[in-house]
Order: sequence, then C-alpha cells, then structure tokens
Amino acid sequence: MEVVLAGGIFLVTYALIATDRIDKTLAALLGGTLVIVLGVVDQDAAFGAVDLNVIFLLTGMMVLAGILRRTGFFQWAAIKAVKISGGEPYRLLIAFSLLAAGVSAFLDNVTTVVLLAPVTLYVANVLRVSPLPFLICEILASNIGGTATLIGDPPNILIGSASGLGFDAFLLNLGPVAALILVVFVLMTRYFFGRDLTVHADVRDAVLALDEREVLTDPGLLRLSLAVIGATIVGFIVGHPLGLEPGSIAIFAAAVLALLSRLDAETVLGEVEWSTLFFFVGLFMLVEAVVEVGIVSAIADALIELTGADPVATTLGLIWLSGFASAIIDNIPYTATMIPVVQELGAAGIPIEPLWWALALGACLGGNATIVGASANVVVANVSARAGHEISFRTFVRYGVVVTVISLAISTVYVYGRYLLV
Amino acid sequence: MSDRARSARRTPVSALVSSLPIEPLLAQPGADPLEVMHRAAAQPQTRLIGVVDDSGVLIGVVPILRLAEAVIARISPETLLADIADLADAARFGHVVESRFIRDVMVRTAAVRPTATADEAFRLMHERHLSGLYVVDDAGRPTGYLDLLELTLAYVEALEADRSGSSGSADTTAVD
Repeated sequence: MEVVLAGGIFLVTYALIATDRIDKTLAALLGGTLVIVLGVVDQDAAFGAVDLNVIFLLTGMMVLAGILRRTGFFQWAAIKAVKISGGEPYRLLIAFSLLAAGVSAFLDNVTTVVLLAPVTLYVANVLRVSPLPFLICEILASNIGGTATLIGDPPNILIGSASGLGFDAFLLNLGPVAALILVVFVLMTRYFFGRDLTVHADVRDAVLALDEREVLTDPGLLRLSLAVIGATIVGFIVGHPLGLEPGSIAIFAAAVLALLSRLDAETVLGEVEWSTLFFFVGLFMLVEAVVEVGIVSAIADALIELTGADPVATTLGLIWLSGFASAIIDNIPYTATMIPVVQELGAAGIPIEPLWWALALGACLGGNATIVGASANVVVANVSARAGHEISFRTFVRYGVVVTVISLAISTVYVYGRYLLV
Repeated sequence: MSDRARSARRTPVSALVSSLPIEPLLAQPGADPLEVMHRAAAQPQTRLIGVVDDSGVLIGVVPILRLAEAVIARISPETLLADIADLADAARFGHVVESRFIRDVMVRTAAVRPTATADEAFRLMHERHLSGLYVVDDAGRPTGYLDLLELTLAYVEALEADRSGSSGSADTTAVD
C-alpha cells in the first residue's frame, strides 16, 4: 500500500512539475508533505532527508550573485565583450557565448543570461541583425559552462553533496570535458549562424560607442563582491580536505559580503529565491519516501538487469538516459531521483565515481536540447518574446538537439576513455 | 468621513475635467515616438498620451515616462541598462529598445466614462500607477482628459471646507 501511495504521489508530482499545471514549488511541497501526512514516511525521516548543505550552498550563492548583480557587473562584462569583439557580429557572438559559459560556471545560469540579454538585444538592434543567434548561443553556452563546476548547475550541487565530491573534483573531472564541448560548440556556431551575421562598418561603430563605465552603479561594491566570490571559490577548494562543506563556506561568504557591503538583512535575504529553495525541500522529502518504500531499489535493480551489471553499459547508458530525461523534464527532480539510484548501483558493485560524472554530464547537458530543458532557456525565451523576437520551440530545437547530441557523444567518449577503459 | 468628503468622492468625472488647463494629447499607433515627444514637450501638463485608431477610438495610452524611456534607450542605453535587476526589468528594456512606433510603447487603455465618480477614477489611476486618465464616450472615443491634480484638488477643497466648517463651530462654542 505504501509503495502504491509513494509511487502515485511521486508520479503525480512529477507530472505536475513537468506540465506546469501548477507552480512547481507548490507541486513539490504538496508531494513532499503528503507523503508525511499519509504516513508513507515519518516526519523525522522526511525532514532529515532535506540536504541542508544544498540549501545553504544555493542560498549563499544566490546572495553573492544578487549582491554582484546590484553593481552592474553583468552589463559591464557584456559591454566589454562588445568592445573586445570590435563590434563584428560573429566575433561578438563568440564573445557573448564565452562570457555566458564562463560566468555560468561560477554563478547562477539564469541570472547570467537574464542580465546579458538586454545588452544583447540592444546591440542586435543597433547592428540591425536578429538577436536570436546571440540569445540561443548564450543559452547553450551557459548550460555548457555550468556543467564544469560544482556550483555551475543545480544538478551538480545535488550530486556534489550526495557524493562528497568537492569543488576541485568537479573542476578536474568535468572542467576538461566542458571546455572541450565549449570549443566544439564555438566551432559549430560558424556553421549555424556565420552567414547571418554581416553588417556595415558604420553600424558597428555605433555599437562601440557604448560606455561600460556608465552601467557600473557601485564600483567599490563590485570590487568587494568579486573579491569575496573569488575567496569563496578558493574556500571551496581548500575547505574540502579540511572537512568544510560548500554550504557552510557559501553562507559564511554571503554573510561576510552582506556585512562589508552594509546591506541590511532584509535586503540581503530578498536576493534569495525562496521558491527555488522550497522546491528542493519538497523534492528531498518526496524522494526520501520513494527510497524508503523500495521503489528506488527496484529501479536500480531493473537497471542492473538491463545492463547486466556491466559498468561500461550502465555508466554510458546513464549519460544518455540523463540527457534524454533532462531534455524533456526538469533536470533537478530527475537528478534528485537518480542520486539514490546511483548510490544503489554503487552498492551493487558498479564503480560509483564514473556514475556520478555520467549523471552530472547527462543532466546538465541534456537541458540544452529543448527550450524547456532548463530554466535559463525558458527565461531568455520570455525576455526575447517580450522584445518582439520569439524563440519558438522548433527554432531552438534545431540547434539544441544537435548541440546536445554532440555534447553527449563527446561526454561518452570522455567518460569511457578516462574512467572505463581497462 | 464628512458629508463633504463623501460628496467629493462621488463627484462625477465630468465635473472635474477641465478644472485645470490640461488637454488630451492624442497620437496614432504608427506615430514616431520622437515626433510625439516634441508634441508632449509643447504640452507638458499632459502626462499621459492617448493612442487612437483611425476611427478615433482609444486603443491604448502611453505614460510620459515610458515614452521618455523609449527615447533615452536610443541615446543613453547605459542609463537604463544599469537599472536592470531582474527578468521583468530585462524584458521591459528589451521591449523599449525595439520600439519604433507609438504602438510599441503603449500600454492598455486607461479610461473612464463621464459619469464615473472621482473615487472610481482615482482607484484606476492608483492601480495602474498613472497620473491621468482619458474620459471617453460610449464608443470609446476620448472626450476629455482627467489629471490626478484635478481629482486631488476636488478632495483638497472638500478637506478645506471641512476644516473651515469645524473652525466656525468651535468659535460658536467658545462664545457660548
């Protein structure tokens, strides 16, 4: 009976999240608390399943990104990219893509692309080209960049906390493949958009007239924010061998920056996306329920049977399964569900570290396939549509699927070559 | 609440319009924002521009701030870029940057009938964060413009009348 209840609540919750019938945070909270109310899992176990390291890491990074955002940094960086490119559209497309990827590796993808979008729209308007190539590339690049580090994408945050793998481990294991995918992606953009981006020299000069200093609202706070964020990254690397979790480091850094910037607590906490945090809370409790009743074990057993417990087939299959799933459903609930499955697979004797990397790569990169595959995709599409440039599902998928398949293929070769080749 | 205040709230809009020399300013949807800005500068008291179609029906309004943003975005985009804090700001900027015609910057119509009360008119202005409204006939064609100042003056007069009425009563009491 408990299995049926847990499974049913789980499926309905995920369906509600995937179809956007109701707000996804409400769906997750309803699902996560219903399993308690109906006695599928007791409160202590459900509350105990809420990974506070994840919650505090997300909170800390939201505060850091939010304070940095106040300084005009993102707009400044975008205008700098314009200057570096000399206003030449294709070079600008590459510059924006690299900027989106680089910033997304360390800060929230959504904040990054939302704040790059206005400069992108302005520049495209002045250059008299469509903004779509720039926006699409920024979306794709931000998801690739976010794959590279522990804090670049929420699936990595979940995996890092569950696996105990630190910031340095993510950087050393996923950084190289993310960088390689980014290089290949940049080369692909010439094929995708190279022909669409030619403009007259006088129009380029108009774009170069932008003054990046004018968008900085607080240069002092900018320097302070960048210093604290830099120290936080160092803290993640240094803290791991000392047994300090990223959540503690991120919250400490956020509090320090808030204090030094003389912002009051209400302002600082206003930067936190509470809805996102409670989305995670609901998911943790719901997943705990399906773990306790044995559904996760059953999924793991089924996967083992399917692959014959072969590490290569299981690991490489996980990349593609995760990629496919993330393309169509939110990669956060997918990852939250697959974490205990991976733990079961590891307990069954399949080398676990490659599985973690496979899950991370698939879950992060799969989000590039469709316009609904990741939050960054959806918000940029929203901004673009309101500016009169709709990014349709079909338009995006033409590029997204190609980039995703190639990214997953590169990931497959990388994971096999680095971890599975005997 | 005194009777005078109640009465002020129930004053029909038709009685308030033109208590100050603030006239409607109308534009066609395809008008150039720069040209409309010149006209607005010649009539600075009117802070809400009405957009009418070919048959003269009000189809939208443009707050002067929004028109200014459309112009400023072309000259000094950095000023607006610096203020972008979230998705809503980014979307608004993107929309402003693409503005070529008045219809690109207009927002939905804000209008009342001549028989609407001052209270109803103020609620609409407050809800929409507007400092004026168009008064329209049954066909939706503008017949006048009600500025927030005109509406507020009616309330000021009611409050001052109350105050002088109260002072008169106090004097009487003192004499007694």
